[in-house]
Amino acid sequence: MTEQRKDILDMLAAGKITAEEAEQLIAALERDQAPAVAGHDAKPKGKVKYLRVVVDATDNGEPSRVNVRVPLQLLRAGVRLAALVPPQALVKANASLSDSGVPIDLTQLKPEQLEALVEHLDDVTVEVDSPDATVRVFCE
Amino acid sequence: MPQLVTVKVNRPDRRPLRFWVPVLPVALLLFPVVVLVVLAAIVACLVFRIGVVRALGAGWRVISALPGARFDIEHCHTAVLVAIR
Repeated sequence: MTEQRKDILDMLAAGKITAEEAEQLIAALERDQAPAVAGHDAKPKGKVKYLRVVVDATDNGEPSRVNVRVPLQLLRAGVRLAALVPPQALVKANASLSDSGVPIDLTQLKPEQLEALVEHLDDVTVEVDSPDATVRVFCE
Repeated sequence: MPQLVTVKVNRPDRRPLRFWVPVLPVALLLFPVVVLVVLAAIVACLVFRIGVVRALGAGWRVISALPGARFDIEHCHTAVLVAIR
């Protein structure tokens, strides 16, 4: 039992506060302590090494599972490789993407932005649930 | 750099297949092919006006970052696993 919680219970026992006030105080105390505990348990930054993609699906009643683990270092290397793509190829890719209904201008995508994106991937968890499939993307 | 590539294939009603491919001996064995691929990459870089050193460096980084990659696909009773160490 923490010191603050003991103080609250002492005050309640002494009749200085009501049971309702004690409950509110303890609830406030727990709210304050929760982020600290979560912060302690959180993954240390820079420790994640892999991007995991797990897909569980049912195809015509048959189960399918895809489990891919990609080192984040590989993503960073891929970003550097993608930075070498010549502008004329990007223009063609833009046109193809536009035709496919994905109007993204790849020439505006800078390697630094992609690297920053990879750097912050450890905070990302994507979960998609549908009746036929479950997709989870996370870092570990 | 990758040292070992493990490939496992499980098929229904058949014995599972397992391959352990040591990368360095295979690369040495395929050295002439590797040289040709590097030369082709250099020519492509010159044609498309890409820095040859930067491109080869980036390619090497990709190869060096491969260890730890793992691809595991199961469908029905068939499963394929490729793990790079």
